[in-house]
Amino acid sequence: MLSFTEMLLMVHVGFGMLCIVASVWVFVDVLNVNENNLTRIRKTSLAVAVFMWLAYLFGGYWYIFYYGTDKAIILKGPWPFSHSFFMEMKEHVVLMLLLLATYLPIAASNNLATSRAARKVVLWVSGLVALVGMAMDGSGAIISMGVKVALLPK
Amino acid sequence: MEEKDLGKYTVSFAVSLGITCVLSALLVVLKELSEHSVLVWMKGATGHHWITHGLFDLIVFVVLGLLLARANGGSGIAISEKGLITIIVGGVVLGGLIIAGFYLIAG
Repeated sequence: MLSFTEMLLMVHVGFGMLCIVASVWVFVDVLNVNENNLTRIRKTSLAVAVFMWLAYLFGGYWYIFYYGTDKAIILKGPWPFSHSFFMEMKEHVVLMLLLLATYLPIAASNNLATSRAARKVVLWVSGLVALVGMAMDGSGAIISMGVKVALLPK
Repeated sequence: MEEKDLGKYTVSFAVSLGITCVLSALLVVLKELSEHSVLVWMKGATGHHWITHGLFDLIVFVVLGLLLARANGGSGIAISEKGLITIIVGGVVLGGLIIAGFYLIAG
């Protein structure tokens, strides 16, 4: 049975993954943009922002109220850098990712079928959301490993 | 027919995004180097420095975006498509490098 904290983390990662998948969807859809898929691009761009906000809120709640225990375990283990670099970096870079994801539906509100400039902006922003999102996902994996290796019998 | 113009909010919030990313990264350095002043104040303001940091970013992003949209008599600022993309990518990359570089050295 999953504990509340495990559930929080799973939901955080789940929404983060959905954000990445949706941003890749937007990227590919914009490469093939026409009047017929404009509404879908706008809705998916909005979904990117909503998924990112949910990932941020669930992850933030866990970070503020429950991460202290994991941090203490990590710092006593063989991978202290999983906190001192990866967690510290992740908790601040994710704020930029939140802004990027929030901006995406604003950029997608232009007529992408007729505006080359708007298409390029949306392609760059959705691409950045996917890349930075994957970097955050990888950092999360390293942080989890930091806890795991600290708990392994020596 | 291809349109060249971007909506005024697309431009203003893109510029705001780039600037906020760099300011946010500089705030990371400032609060970590001022543990007894800035960090203490940020913890006291909301109960956790990270919540204050997030609120700072959101407020700067929204206020700056709205202000820039009201420039030039309400028509917003004018920047080329290339300039806009440079500001977005440059802001995110520079902000990320400042944060990663700082923790690589300080961590």
